Amino acid sequence: MNRGVHRFALLLAGATFFLIIAGALVTSHDAGLATSDWPLSNGQFFPRMVGNLFWEHGHRMVATTVGFLTVCFTVYLYWEQICNWLYRRGLIRSAPVYRGEPRRWVRRLGAIALGTVIAQGLLGGLTVKLNLPLVVSAAHATLAQLFFCTTVSLAVFTSRSWLENQPTMEEQGTLAVRYVCVAAAATIFLQLIIGATLRHSATWDQPLPTDLLLTHIGGAIAVTVLLGTTAVLILRRQRGETFLTRPAKLALALLAVQLFLGIAAYITRVASPNDPQPLNPMVGITVAHVACGALVFATTIVLTLRGFKVLRANAASFEFATPERKLKLEV
Amino acid sequence: MFMKQTKVLLIFTIALSLLALASACGKKPEETPGANTGTSAKEYVPTGKEGTISGAVAFTGTPPPPKKIATDADPACGQKNPNLSTEDNVVTNGKLANVLVYIKEGTLADGTKISEVSFKTPTAALTLDQNGCHYKPHVAAVMVNQKLNITNSDPTQHNIHFTPKNNPDWNQSQPNGAAPLSHSFARSEILVPVKCNQHPWMKAYVAVLKHPFAAVSAEDGSFSIKGVPPGTYTVAAWHEGGATGTEKTMQVTVPASGSVTADFAFGEAATASGKPSLQMMPALDVPMLGRH
Repeated sequence: MNRGVHRFALLLAGATFFLIIAGALVTSHDAGLATSDWPLSNGQFFPRMVGNLFWEHGHRMVATTVGFLTVCFTVYLYWEQICNWLYRRGLIRSAPVYRGEPRRWVRRLGAIALGTVIAQGLLGGLTVKLNLPLVVSAAHATLAQLFFCTTVSLAVFTSRSWLENQPTMEEQGTLAVRYVCVAAAATIFLQLIIGATLRHSATWDQPLPTDLLLTHIGGAIAVTVLLGTTAVLILRRQRGETFLTRPAKLALALLAVQLFLGIAAYITRVASPNDPQPLNPMVGITVAHVACGALVFATTIVLTLRGFKVLRANAASFEFATPERKLKLEV
Repeated sequence: MFMKQTKVLLIFTIALSLLALASACGKKPEETPGANTGTSAKEYVPTGKEGTISGAVAFTGTPPPPKKIATDADPACGQKNPNLSTEDNVVTNGKLANVLVYIKEGTLADGTKISEVSFKTPTAALTLDQNGCHYKPHVAAVMVNQKLNITNSDPTQHNIHFTPKNNPDWNQSQPNGAAPLSHSFARSEILVPVKCNQHPWMKAYVAVLKHPFAAVSAEDGSFSIKGVPPGTYTVAAWHEGGATGTEKTMQVTVPASGSVTADFAFGEAATASGKPSLQMMPALDVPMLGRH
């Protein structure tokens, strides 16, 4: 196990979470077009950060840092391969002493993260240059969540608890928890897309579109049912297995906080068109709602990954779940 | 059989989605009153018998007090304009400022519809100044293709962002001391919201018309539209507020070389029976306060 890689992955995930908050602050302040330039701001590398330019340029600075961290992390993962390549060409005198990440698929996931962060930066630039079209802005917000989940997954895959031999358990009951986890994660992702579209459909001084708002509320109910079921199933069936119960408890707690934040965000956001400018309660609560949404998604991803690592299909339930197989057995 | 049905359903769904997408992409910009169709419109030649539409805009009831704006994010704004507050209801002695009054539709004395007549675009540009971290003027009217000069008189940076529906979105940064920017609109639109993304309280509205017959009420609520060809018109008064503002209309007949008065009223009592007009298009409340 390489502790350095895991720590770096944690740092990257933490920085990405901070970047999501910085991005949400831009949206809530309607600061996305505080400068018409990209990648420079008002033609400068470091402009006077007053007014909403503080949020927009601040977001760009945090994004640049995360991009740089991702490049370093990918190099870290591929360090052995890079050194070997340089050694074979005589560019360095000795073979690498330090080993990077030994698992090829983890290295590839790191490369995917690098590609995603580059795409995300370009989407950010594109949305500024095109004056924030809804599709591009929503895609930018959605890809941010996907990138965050990739970094969280990298932290999971490089963690000690993942690398240690965890005891394999059989799924209990007829409803496979792993697939409920996948359904919950997919629903949360859809809900994040709807949320991003809702946020970018109307600025703080405009009323929220009712159809999208109702869809988002419907999504919240679906997420509550699916994630609640997942967590309760795990807590009841895998009692004592902290590898699974810990993220399940965390997911439940975050879900409760997220629902509360959602209601609070709605109340403050409905009032904001009558305000002279975006006020701190509305900004703080809506940003917290976005950030908590990212944490709910990340926790569900962790739960799903861990579920697939330790849970195995129950033969009886498999048989029960597939009528064709049951028919064959009967014949 | 089931598979075939599924395939047909899938193809039908995809086709329907593509059709919806195509119709959304090919959506034509909305036509607004006085839209410059630009085709066979005949140019109006002044006869010297043009009249005037004048009047005043009142505010009934108690206006909501202006809200103080926090300028902590950019101290330069607070230093230049310490009493910065909202401008959506500027009421002095019961009179309402910043109301756009314009000819919405109507016919000239010879029976020609005003929408079928073209008028010369003024060569003089209208100046929209960013001064004290608010726009001067707050509401303005220009003609289609008339130049709009945007200046920055503040010791801080701004960005000017037009968010029209019928014209392309336009956003430009303008640091302090930068040269004036110039912009014009190719299509008519009532009204184009203007904002500064750096200072989110900064708002203005620009009406883009195919004719020059518009005015904005002054602090005493008065307005005057001069050089109007004799005819019968629907005059509209638009005031900001809510999602799309409120519009009131009335019919007036402008006599040759004469004048007509069109008084409007907004506010609690005046808007009690009215609702904010959707897309600022239909007149929902027509107070007949003017003398014909």
